[in-house]
Amino acid sequence: MSHSEKATIFNKNEAKVNWHNKALWFVREKRDTAAHKVKGWEYLRELASGIKANVLSNLDEYLVEFEKNALKKNIKVHWASSAEEHNAIVHKILADKKAKKVVKSKSMLTEECHLNSYLEEKGIEIIDTDLGERIVQLAKEPPSHIVLPAIHKTKEEVDELFQEHLGTTPSNGNPEYLTNEARKHLRQKFIEADAAITGVNFAIAETGGFVVCTNEGNADMGAHLAPVHIACMGIEKIIPKEEHLGVFLRLLARSATGQPITTYSSHFNTAAPGTEMHVVIVDNGRTEQLSREDFRSSLHCIRCGACMNTCPIYRRSGGHSYDTTIPGPIGSILSPGKDLKKHSSLPFASTLCGSCSNVCPVKINIHEQLYKWRQLVTKDVKQPFIKKSILKIAGIVLSKPKLFSLAGKSARFMLKYAPRFMVYSNLNAWGNARELPEVKNQNFDEWYKVKRKNHG
Amino acid sequence: MGRAAILKSVKENKPTLVPLPKIDLNPFQENVDILETFKSNVKLVGGNIQELSQLSNIDSEVEKMYPNASEIISCIPESNLGTVSISEKTSPHELETVDLAIVKGEFGVAENGAVWISEEAVSTRVLPFISNDLVIILNKEDLCLHMHQAYKLISERKRNFGLFISGPSKTADIEQCLVIGAQGAMSLTVILT
Repeated sequence: MSHSEKATIFNKNEAKVNWHNKALWFVREKRDTAAHKVKGWEYLRELASGIKANVLSNLDEYLVEFEKNALKKNIKVHWASSAEEHNAIVHKILADKKAKKVVKSKSMLTEECHLNSYLEEKGIEIIDTDLGERIVQLAKEPPSHIVLPAIHKTKEEVDELFQEHLGTTPSNGNPEYLTNEARKHLRQKFIEADAAITGVNFAIAETGGFVVCTNEGNADMGAHLAPVHIACMGIEKIIPKEEHLGVFLRLLARSATGQPITTYSSHFNTAAPGTEMHVVIVDNGRTEQLSREDFRSSLHCIRCGACMNTCPIYRRSGGHSYDTTIPGPIGSILSPGKDLKKHSSLPFASTLCGSCSNVCPVKINIHEQLYKWRQLVTKDVKQPFIKKSILKIAGIVLSKPKLFSLAGKSARFMLKYAPRFMVYSNLNAWGNARELPEVKNQNFDEWYKVKRKNHG
Repeated sequence: MGRAAILKSVKENKPTLVPLPKIDLNPFQENVDILETFKSNVKLVGGNIQELSQLSNIDSEVEKMYPNASEIISCIPESNLGTVSISEKTSPHELETVDLAIVKGEFGVAENGAVWISEEAVSTRVLPFISNDLVIILNKEDLCLHMHQAYKLISERKRNFGLFISGPSKTADIEQCLVIGAQGAMSLTVILT
């Protein structure tokens, strides 16, 4: 199904769409307030973009440096070219330790690799410990947002899910009660866990350490209680030096939720005595994206979600309509690189307004890349007949002023005099769910000419 | 497969070297009251602030704030409230029922109300997360303006584990309603001495 078809389904519940739209815009506004409080914010973004550009241009050296320094601190380093290799490596570590119960904090990479279903098939229990991720895991759904995984769920839906799976009493969706019940449930899972899996926000070449950011404290509860900690990262998570964290940690939470920093920013440099620490470094299509000059900078992404919160399409179509691990504007420039045909509708899920690029903390030119993907999609993927013919006709009309004027005149005539069932038919998408504006007698050209004549 | 293939592919596909920018701190310089900014940001992120004139008053202050805490771990010599003792050898699982932990913060960051906690200050890494409530003792002289200065302050540390804590654990994953107390500590108090 294309993005617009899935978006149509999401839009069936108008009240929910309106709530979704407003809730995300509120997060965008909090981001603005937080950003405006920082002196030198734009310079910070430039630095972040510059550091990431340097990283990509020297990535092999940094990866080797990271590995060397991590090994010195007794962190075991693994490399995986693909999702399958990643899953097999994680499973082998767990199997060697006879781990049967695993807790996992948020990691978009493990979502991308479909690690959960892989491990479950091997008889391993894997529990997502971020509250939003636990909610969607219980609902057997993927996250719909990378920072707010359950933003598409109402509190009443969460209430029902918890009643069914955690045995809670009905509370009309009381967030405090439900969060506290989840806390108790997850505490038990943390205590029982044989191993913990986390993502990586930043891996530092200079020290061989890595940083994990959470608000809930779930990554740390898992990592410090279990005897084995496996941290999974894409190759692009590397930053050269520890001092660069100063730049990225100032940007990340402010861009994501409007907080000045996440509650916890944990710096892992070596395993606690008697425990093991592993890092799995994953390519899975990233080096291919690195080869594409026009789309390379999409790998700058630090997964803050700001582009989703600001996007007028995302806010009104919901994360699931993108049918990708990473939805929204950034997902729409990352996913076509993995499967152009499958994700061919995503570069069109945009008004090209450029808001995503404006809020991006690492200054990815997202809307320009969307436009560039469109060029490739129309060349490589068969387009619907109506879209193709309309664009062809529009091209002809727009290139001939007389024809353009005639077309405008007939459109205005039709809007004014054609019966309602014709104007608001399926053929006219612009009349779908909205009233068209009142028609004036003149077009701009005519109005301007009259005006000039009258006023000299 | 794996390592060699990834490194080979990166080498083939990476662009020509882009220089690493130098961080100029001048654009971030501000004339603000560091102490007041820190205090207001701790409150902004959901934490409590207490200012003490004397270090010796810590215990009475903590008892006032957490009267029901019975299992208490104190990691600072100035407090006698500790009822459970721990060392590096303590299993993290033993801490499941701890009500309150009192730990030393190394320094605070004004711009975001975060406090740096080193592994040495907590003995067991899980302590600041698993404890129901958390009290951080911080000298008000030990504050810096922003994260760039913070990373200078920890550049020479022993690199095992350490973290910035900014407020109590929280979540807004249910309909964007902010709930304080997710998987980590339910409350955080910073006591400035």
